[in-house]
Amino acid sequence: MFKKFLSNKAYPIIFLTIIVAISVILLVVVNNITSPVVEARRMEEITGNLEKIFPDIDKYELKDEIYFVYGKDGEKIGYAFTASGSGYGGVIDILVGLNSNFEIEGVSIISQTETPGVGARITESSFTDQFKGLTINDIALKSGGGKIDAITGATISSNAVVSAIRDRMSEVLDTLESSK
Amino acid sequence: MNNLFTIFIGMVLINNMILAKFLGLCSFFGVSKKLSDAFSMGIAVTLVLLIASISTSLIFNYILVPYELEYMNIVIYILVIASLVQIVEVIIKRTNIALYNAMGIYLPLITTNCIVMAITLLNSTEHYSVLESVVNALGAGVGYTFVIIIMSGIREKLDLADTPKSMRGLPVAFLTAALLALAFVGFNGMV
Amino acid sequence: MNDCKNKNNCPQAEACNQQEQHIKSDKKSSSGFTKELVKGIITVNPVFILILGLCPVLAITNTVTNALGMSAGVIFVLLGSNIIISSIRKVTPSMVRIPVFIVVIATFVTILSLVIEAYVPALHKSLGIYLPLIVVNCIVLGRAEAFASKNPVLLSAADAIGEGIGFAIALLVISLIREIMGTGKLEIFGKQLFEVPGLSEHPLIFFISPPGAFLVIGVTMAILRLAGVMKYE
Repeated sequence: MFKKFLSNKAYPIIFLTIIVAISVILLVVVNNITSPVVEARRMEEITGNLEKIFPDIDKYELKDEIYFVYGKDGEKIGYAFTASGSGYGGVIDILVGLNSNFEIEGVSIISQTETPGVGARITESSFTDQFKGLTINDIALKSGGGKIDAITGATISSNAVVSAIRDRMSEVLDTLESSK
Repeated sequence: MNNLFTIFIGMVLINNMILAKFLGLCSFFGVSKKLSDAFSMGIAVTLVLLIASISTSLIFNYILVPYELEYMNIVIYILVIASLVQIVEVIIKRTNIALYNAMGIYLPLITTNCIVMAITLLNSTEHYSVLESVVNALGAGVGYTFVIIIMSGIREKLDLADTPKSMRGLPVAFLTAALLALAFVGFNGMV
Repeated sequence: MNDCKNKNNCPQAEACNQQEQHIKSDKKSSSGFTKELVKGIITVNPVFILILGLCPVLAITNTVTNALGMSAGVIFVLLGSNIIISSIRKVTPSMVRIPVFIVVIATFVTILSLVIEAYVPALHKSLGIYLPLIVVNCIVLGRAEAFASKNPVLLSAADAIGEGIGFAIALLVISLIREIMGTGKLEIFGKQLFEVPGLSEHPLIFFISPPGAFLVIGVTMAILRLAGVMKYE
């Protein structure tokens, strides 16, 4: 009986369908377990980096992909947004904080996969601190007429950060202006 | 338009599949011994890349994203690519036997060639539209063909050279690739 | 997929054919658990001897941490798919054999990718596209077709572990050379093990760049030939 079933012409198709069905069910189950973990960690990352830029942060609100940051006594102390650019080794995710005058309050690299010891130095404060207090027109490498010194030997990584911030910042400023 | 051009140039010269991303190496070293073979392989890869990118980006943008099933992409893409290669092979065999004789033996090698899978996955992680995916695939194909042709030209000459016995064949091919890759580093920062 | 009835027409099988020939010549020797285990590690090392699965060997050997993560991933997928494929080998119709293998392997790769993204996010980020690309790694499909589809579960598991360790050793050798020369330091999962004085101040960045990868693997192969481990052409 079983042997006869195995030699049935439709059997290969049925078998393949069963395998695919099992695979799909398994993946749905695993994804349901892992996706909340991924989501929670992402939130944590953002909160942690926001605290680095705004030490006085009490809470924040996300609206139109812009984080509105509030201080201890409930007043608005600034804005933050994420930017991402392609560096030498992959995607660089950056969190940028702005004060209420739309000057940069601080820059924090959320994640990057640049070359260790070279491009990865974009995470060091000697690089990120250069952005403090700049307005959008100053955000460019010195070779491009701006105020940022590129990291020696890592022009691509430095430029990726700078142009990602500049491009996203001009979008964010437009949104903030129009919502006023 | 500018964006499409950037994707294309980036794929051909800067993020070259072989020299910067190390994809499709098996076929790169296996088929780069003769110039004519290398050319046919390049064309075959470009063709499969284009067809695979169109179908997978349609699936991604119109089925997987709306239903939030992005994480299923590996299973779906590999099945699509495997069947596509089979279909293309049958079509070429039935319609143009001369082309089949020239290209046929390379087609089967392409399914397990990581370039096709990598490009389709990249299209999804970068959230490219269908048009951008096609340009991305075309760039990858042209870049692959370009490099494999240069490589085979060098290797044809290299066969006549007096290489140390332990270096002959693959090791010296790797060193050649190292020098080629070094030359391509010069394109960095162009776009 | 109908062509797969005839093995020579089957794309994936053909691409990994090289390996199968090796197995045939290998069959004469005994087929015990340890034999299968040792085989993949030394005599038929998938990377250096069979030149399979090259992409990850070059792409993610810039740090030892990446190499270890990748090896663990490949061993997980190899072991899982070999066990499943071997246990369903008697009921798998040969006509849809290859698609079934592909689905099983792709499922394991997706599970691996989801789990790593959730629990080891840094590794997920640095392996990037090469993690899902395990699905087209010739070693995995090659073992499914050449070994697991014909042998009992326990032997297939041994084969998977052996091949996996062989792959891991190759990755480890290359990544050790590249990381030490390229950064002057050795760091594993964020912990610094040692630092080479002089080299760490002026590291040879070339070694962690893509051209350096090609150079290191080419020279390693030449050395293995001189040592008699790898055969001459």
